[in-house]
Amino acid sequence: MANFDLTRINCQFLDRHLTFPLLEFLCGKEIYNQQELLEYILETVNKTNMIDYTMDTRKRLNLSQEMPEELVQRKAEVLATLKQLQNEVAPIMKATDILKNGESMKDSKTFVNALQKDYNFKVEHLESAYKLAKYLYECGNYQESTSYLYFCLIVMSPNDKNYLNVLWGKLAAEILTLNWNTALEDLTRLRDYIDSANFSTIQALQQRTWLIHWSVLVFFNHPKGRDLIIEMFLYKPLYLNAIQTMCPHIMRYLATAVVINRTRRNALKDLIKVIQQESYTYRDPITEFLECLYVNFDFEGARLKLHECQTVILNDFFIVACLNEFVEDARLMIFETFCRIHQCITISMLADKLNMKPNEAECWIVNLIRNARLNAKIDSKLGHVVMGTQPLSPYQQLVEKIDSLSMRSEHLAGLIERKSKQKQNQESADSWKYY
Amino acid sequence: MSRFFANGSDSESESSEDEIQATNFNKASAFQFSDDEEEVKRVVRSTKEKRYENLTSIIKTIRNHKKIKDIPNTLSSFEDLTRAYQKALPVISKEENGITPRFYIRCLAELEDFINEVWEDREGRKNLSKNNSKSLGTLRQKVRKYIKDFEDDLSRFREAPDQESEAEDEVVALESDGGDAGDDSDSGVKPTEAAPKAVKTAPAKAAPADDDDSDDSIDWDSDSESETESSDDENQYQNMRERFLKRTTEKEEKDDDKRKDKRKEQKIKIRKRAEDDEDGEWETVVKGHVVEKPKMFEKDAEIDVPLVLAKLLEIMSARGKKRTDRRLQIDLLFELRDISDQHNLGTAVSVKIHFNIISAIYDYNQKISEPMKLEHWALLLEVMQSMMKLLLANADIIMSESVAEEHEEYVTAPFYVRGCPLAAVERLDDEFVKLLKECDPHSNDYVSRLKDEVNVVKTIELVLQYFERSGTNNERCRIYLRKIEHLYYKFDPEVLKKKRGEVPATTSTSVDVMDKLCKFIYAKDDTDRIRTRAILAHIYHHAMHDNWFQARDLVLMSHLQDNIDAADPATRILYNRMMANLGLCAFRQENVKDAHHCLVDLMVTGKPKELLAQGLLPQRQHERSAEQEKIEKQRQMPFHMHINLELLECVYLVSAMLLEIPYIAAHEFDARRRMISKTFYQQLRSSERQSLVGPPESMREHVVAAAKAMRCGNWQACANFIVNKKMNTKVWDLFYESDRVREMLTKFIKEESLRTYLFTYSNVYTSISIPSLAQMYELPVPKVHSIISKMIINEELMASLDDPSETVVMHRSEPSRLQALAMQFVDKVTNLVDVNEKVFDMKQGNFFQRGNMGNRGDRGYNRNQNNQGGNWLGQRRDRNNRNRNQRGHHKNNQDRQQQQQQQVQTIDEE
Repeated sequence: MANFDLTRINCQFLDRHLTFPLLEFLCGKEIYNQQELLEYILETVNKTNMIDYTMDTRKRLNLSQEMPEELVQRKAEVLATLKQLQNEVAPIMKATDILKNGESMKDSKTFVNALQKDYNFKVEHLESAYKLAKYLYECGNYQESTSYLYFCLIVMSPNDKNYLNVLWGKLAAEILTLNWNTALEDLTRLRDYIDSANFSTIQALQQRTWLIHWSVLVFFNHPKGRDLIIEMFLYKPLYLNAIQTMCPHIMRYLATAVVINRTRRNALKDLIKVIQQESYTYRDPITEFLECLYVNFDFEGARLKLHECQTVILNDFFIVACLNEFVEDARLMIFETFCRIHQCITISMLADKLNMKPNEAECWIVNLIRNARLNAKIDSKLGHVVMGTQPLSPYQQLVEKIDSLSMRSEHLAGLIERKSKQKQNQESADSWKYY
Repeated sequence: MSRFFANGSDSESESSEDEIQATNFNKASAFQFSDDEEEVKRVVRSTKEKRYENLTSIIKTIRNHKKIKDIPNTLSSFEDLTRAYQKALPVISKEENGITPRFYIRCLAELEDFINEVWEDREGRKNLSKNNSKSLGTLRQKVRKYIKDFEDDLSRFREAPDQESEAEDEVVALESDGGDAGDDSDSGVKPTEAAPKAVKTAPAKAAPADDDDSDDSIDWDSDSESETESSDDENQYQNMRERFLKRTTEKEEKDDDKRKDKRKEQKIKIRKRAEDDEDGEWETVVKGHVVEKPKMFEKDAEIDVPLVLAKLLEIMSARGKKRTDRRLQIDLLFELRDISDQHNLGTAVSVKIHFNIISAIYDYNQKISEPMKLEHWALLLEVMQSMMKLLLANADIIMSESVAEEHEEYVTAPFYVRGCPLAAVERLDDEFVKLLKECDPHSNDYVSRLKDEVNVVKTIELVLQYFERSGTNNERCRIYLRKIEHLYYKFDPEVLKKKRGEVPATTSTSVDVMDKLCKFIYAKDDTDRIRTRAILAHIYHHAMHDNWFQARDLVLMSHLQDNIDAADPATRILYNRMMANLGLCAFRQENVKDAHHCLVDLMVTGKPKELLAQGLLPQRQHERSAEQEKIEKQRQMPFHMHINLELLECVYLVSAMLLEIPYIAAHEFDARRRMISKTFYQQLRSSERQSLVGPPESMREHVVAAAKAMRCGNWQACANFIVNKKMNTKVWDLFYESDRVREMLTKFIKEESLRTYLFTYSNVYTSISIPSLAQMYELPVPKVHSIISKMIINEELMASLDDPSETVVMHRSEPSRLQALAMQFVDKVTNLVDVNEKVFDMKQGNFFQRGNMGNRGDRGYNRNQNNQGGNWLGQRRDRNNRNRNQRGHHKNNQDRQQQQQQQVQTIDEE
């Protein structure tokens, strides 16, 4: 299944620290050679300051039990730097702690004023707080890092050169500490900042691409994320463009999100349009499944693709949690489409198309009928499901069509009337002006 | 002959040119001889001369008229001539002892010959216009009558037409004015630089052979200031000379006469060399001067860089002046180059001289609109290449426009030379295109011209290398664009091979080269025009090689369709060409809808030929002036870049057919039916109007016949009409992978026929078996299944599938007449409300939209999506639509009352 694995591509757009969960996940999946993966992890870890993690990886690689000299030295260095930075920031942090309890915390401006007045706060302090946060992050101490970053965010003005970095850092740290609620907040803040800041087109595109990748992590873990991901990726032209030009593979996540979101069925149409447009640059079983089902109406193909989808999802870190939901919803989609087209279906065929046993399928359909989601009857003698669709009578058609007309016309008339009244008023007012 | 016509068959234009020259000449003369003294002396003019001149000028017009067979004018001129001769008679009898002048006799003889010739040529006579043939008769009679008086002279003339007596005449004539001038010009003439032609001489041997020459020599008798009548420059030069002569007799010779004289003689020699390629009218001769080769430099002068440069400056300073002999300049420069090469003055000087040669050659051709002479162009190419080789071989020479003249450096490295090879090569390229356009595209001439394209490309390549080494971004962009323009329309089969993996992926194809060049331009260009053209060429190239998606994405991303209207005509033509090719590409890549979208704008006007600049339409009632036509001609594409119009139209019609026929079938009773393709409809309707439809002949007839077959769902006949031997040779074989295209076509025809069949005949079935449909249309069952499913989902077909029996069950109950009418009426009312809203919307801006967002949000959104994905035509079409709607609205308002009446009726019926 290595050919559908996106980790390699995704990692290009993620922070070094964010890739570790992905890589660790892959370690458990036996798609790639374990040894190679671990070596790659070690290489990546070496670029950070996470000495313990390095050691751990070395152990897993059976390199040596002993800590090499160089690492020991580095550890000492790291600790020393950390100490020094902490010392620099300590007084300010203390002050913050005190102020936190007071009233001034509510507004960042009053907070900064208070800091400056009472505690001799300077810009250099902010700089060092930022440095410390970054250093902590590099050491893997995300929790503490977030608190410093939070401080920075409050105090810093949005024009500061580090502001963007702080935003990114905050988001990464929140993701790594699995604080999805705050992560979502940070995400929106970052997005607003990117959309409003004056980047050159290329820069903006790059920033957005990164944001898209990071946000996938948040969206699939936050309860509200499933709506938001559709909103952001599909209905914000800027982001849709970014996906189309830079990272069409994101279509997989978008497609998954649409499939598992029953309330947003109308997004499907737009999604399919995009998928078709981009089909030459990117296709995988999930997009192909939708294409089979909604473009070609090839149910056999859809069945096969659904089968493939399961393995793909199982091996994808981002969406592995949605596997069951996905399969269930995909089945429902196949069945719905089926019902719209057919008036009579054999249960055995249906079971075949849905990757189910006939008994299970019958059970499933019965449940659907009972929940009133399906207007149908089962003919158990022949093993058929007969749809209860009635063709639209001409009268119904007529009524449907004129339904809104009078409302619309009335509305229009009302508007015009209002408009003309306004005008009259204005005119009379105008005519007085000259006296 | 053709050249003569091209230059202006109306004598008007010619004379106007002459006038210009003449006035210029006047200016020059005024400038040179402002002394009063001379003004007084120049009045001498004998009656003989006056009369003779009059005669000769009339003779000349007669000759001109004869050349273009303008018989009425010949007749009138002949009458003038006889009258003039009558006037001249006393002089003749006095001066020439009553002997008729030879030139007069010659004219009569020629006239007679001419008339006989025309008279004899029965075929030609029939073709003459009424006016012409009438005057021919009159002329013939008159001349016959008239020449009876000269019979003796004529017979004598005919015995020996080329006698020396003529030469004698000339000599006499010359002597006569030479006598005026005193002892003649061997040493005495001192022309200024500006008038080198005045003293041009040549042996008399050329004279008898050429009529023109003898004429001119007669002209020299005149001593007058006749500027406008004489159309020949030589006359004026002659006059000039005579002025000189008169003056020089009274003035002292100057010291440097000797040298000037030598110079003059050299010019003559050069002139002889060049004579082969010159037109007859320029080969004028003046007798009596001894010629001698002039030197560039003094014999003992030490030739070094400053001296050569000074000389160069001297030569070039004459540039652009009216009197300068432009050919002479070129020759002098060549000589200078040889000298500098002989003396090893360094490559920088050589480059400079090369560059000056190039500009001198460009100067030679004064009219921009006309192509330069072929041999000049060849010479230019050669010089250009050798200059670029010099530049490339010597990295220490920097040639640029930005080098100011005072900063030029020729002695020590690094050398700085002022000049711009870019402009030169651009002009070279332009001239090449002009030369191509001059040829008949179907002749061998064109092919042999086209062979030079390789050389042009090579030269561009050289310049490109030079600018890649040292050049600003802007210059690089410009030269890249030149290369792109030679590259983009050429098909490279390697690209497709590479796509199929037949050639290793590392081979560099033209697409790769284009990518590289265009990307540089996208990144570095700061003028919008170069980028736009590069994008267009890039898309064209992609489309040509079936890279449909890349091409489409480039179009969509560039947003060209929004602002192409503001571009210059050449760019718009390129845009049209690009769209045409994109349409063809979409068609090959099985995207019929997109193909139609791309082509519709070109075809709907009915003049794709003009839009693609592949020829002018025959004009109706002088729609455009000559001026306009000239400009339009300049814009035309050379023939080898043309896009086959028949192919284009066929692809358009076929894709329109594939879209339109099922649509018609589906909306047969629909009141709101719109036409997808107007052009296609026209074809269809015109064929329906025919009382008797024969078997199809032309491409259009084939498509129409196919469309008719498709309407009955008869795919076999339809496919046969589209894909057959005739159509293959006419159209389909023009595609690179024609077999694939044909297969694709058959597939589409099957599918669309099936759809049409279902739409048309669904009301006579209650159920249809899918396998039998599949058999009918020779399609696989799953494919049929999928097509029907799609129709059901889109609610085009009121039916559902019955899985156990594999049939389609129709639900559609045919509405009664009343119901159908009611439905139609509802449609109309809906339309009215829609339009009302739209009008209000437009008048009020966004006000309304806010109020109605909830109702229409979804629909509006979908429309936007459509725009993003599929609407190629962008704003222009939108605007059209809006206009149409507006118009529709007014009509609707008028209809309203009718509708209300109708409503009453329907209600009554109910």
